[in-house]
Amino acid sequence: MPKLLIIDDEEGIRKVLTLSLTNDGYDVSAAAGGEEGIEIFKRESPPIILTDIKMPGMDGIETLKQIKELNPDAEVIMITGHGDMDLAIEALKLDASDFLNKPIKDEALSIALKRAEQRISIKQKLKAYTDDLERMVRIATEEVKRRAEFQNKLITSSNDAIIATDEKGDIIIYNKGAEGIFGHSRSEIIRKMNIDRLYPQEIASEFRSGLEMRSNIDLSEWKEVDILSKNGEIVPARFSGSILYAEDEVVGSVGFFQDLREIKRLQKELITSERLAATGQTVAGLAHYIKNILNGLKGGAYVLNVALDKSDTDKIESGWKMIERNVGRISDLVLDLLAYSKERQPEKENCFPNEIIKEVYALMESRAAENNIEIKIDLDPLLGEVYIDPKAIHRSLLNLVSNAIDACIFDSTSKKRWQVKITSSIEENHVIRFEVVDNGIGMDKETKEKIFSSLFSTKGERGTGLGLLVTEKIIKENGGMIQVASQKGSGTTFTVYLPYQEVTENSRQREVSSRR
Amino acid sequence: MAKKVLNVEDDADIRTFVTTVLEENGYTPIMAIDGAEGMEKVKKERPDLIILDILMPRESGIKMYHELKLDPSFKDIPIVMLSGVSKRTFLRSQAALTEFGDETVPEPQAYLEKPVEPEDLAETLKKILG
Repeated sequence: MPKLLIIDDEEGIRKVLTLSLTNDGYDVSAAAGGEEGIEIFKRESPPIILTDIKMPGMDGIETLKQIKELNPDAEVIMITGHGDMDLAIEALKLDASDFLNKPIKDEALSIALKRAEQRISIKQKLKAYTDDLERMVRIATEEVKRRAEFQNKLITSSNDAIIATDEKGDIIIYNKGAEGIFGHSRSEIIRKMNIDRLYPQEIASEFRSGLEMRSNIDLSEWKEVDILSKNGEIVPARFSGSILYAEDEVVGSVGFFQDLREIKRLQKELITSERLAATGQTVAGLAHYIKNILNGLKGGAYVLNVALDKSDTDKIESGWKMIERNVGRISDLVLDLLAYSKERQPEKENCFPNEIIKEVYALMESRAAENNIEIKIDLDPLLGEVYIDPKAIHRSLLNLVSNAIDACIFDSTSKKRWQVKITSSIEENHVIRFEVVDNGIGMDKETKEKIFSSLFSTKGERGTGLGLLVTEKIIKENGGMIQVASQKGSGTTFTVYLPYQEVTENSRQREVSSRR
Repeated sequence: MAKKVLNVEDDADIRTFVTTVLEENGYTPIMAIDGAEGMEKVKKERPDLIILDILMPRESGIKMYHELKLDPSFKDIPIVMLSGVSKRTFLRSQAALTEFGDETVPEPQAYLEKPVEPEDLAETLKKILG
């Protein structure tokens, strides 16, 4: 039963209205004046109030004001008599709901009450709706906040570098991963640095052209880049990125960088450990080779002793040569093993490659002559002093020439005129080409495929299988390339390409300072 | 007259070494660098003993050993194998050759593995040649 409060100083009106409205189903209270009406309102809080405007004491306007202060939603219907027009207008300003003229007609009263009830019902619905809406907004806001926090956490906790910029290219997001790769702290970067200063030049310029919509760039594919970090370290990284759009407008860019340092280090370690394992495997194979060397050393010592006893000069010389030769073989072996199992940085200096070839020739000539093999050299006179790793050339050519001589010794086609030829020539793009050609036994396809791939030797106990592996490794370390062409029965050609630098004052100085 | 000993050996160092051992012990050394040259020297010089290496380029010691043992005029020349290959491996290779239908050949008089001490070589020769 809806509550209703009647405030009127005329008792007759109070009684009539109370009777008739109680009859209509309202729970009616009545007050004879404003003060009493406010008391009842405070106690009962009826949603609908009928109040006379003109009353002694607190009049209807003041009562309306106080009720509205207590509950702005209360429906206050003003009862007016003739000549109350000014007061009625004031009551409207104070948010009175309706007006009933005296004498009060039943019809007008019921219409006014109906309207008041409708308004209450609408207000209630509106309130419920508003409350609901507020709840929904709160939930939605929280969800958005949660998601934003989630994304924020994603970004900050990512090991990969995530760097985002606004449309001007100024950096606004820079996470911990980025600190790890680029070395700058967040406070040095955010809103203080732009992509042009932070990113490698090629990436920055691509982003620029994308941000300025000069071209449609696609950076989505991962690629490897070198990042120059704050402390000058070159950090290998994998990069992918994209321009961010909102409705066709560029709003910024984002770049992702993955630190590859650990991976690169592991790769290097893996290669080294594989190489060490292979070295271990070959120790068994090396035993024979070392036995031969020992044989030579012991034999040399014996020959030398015998010769010394007899003062036989010729024999002293041949005994001494045996020892020398075998000491040479064992030091070559140790060098090969070291070269194969260890990383070696090229040691470049100013030198004359043609002179190195002559040294190799001088070292190998006697062994070739012993076996009826002729060594020829054909040097490019245009090849002068260059900045290159002389030890790499020496070691590679020595190995190749030694192999070429063996290829002739092993050749069973009789009465061939065996020949080994070493050539040098200057190529385009600062590359020197070396060639070692023999007309010895040659290789079939199967052998040719194996020579660089494992510790493979065709020489039985006379070879270690290390020579070509070491040669290839040295050449690759120097940025070069080695190729082989061979035909069984007619010979083999090894071609080596090595890049070189011009001799400059710079390299001269470097050399001087490194020698100090 | 000093007895002739032929050494068939591709390694120059070992040739020098064996030559010295032979001279020191009163033998006449004859040298050959592979099986082909070795067979020539056998026919020409008729050595009293042959010291034979196994792994040599062009013609291996195994082939020369078979040629000698299957030739009635040379099969009685005593042979001392001197090789980096172990005796077991050599005998296994001989057994394999027999399986493939080659005639069975007798084992060498002595088998020395490299590296060999000069005294051991000298003693072996002395035992065979007397």
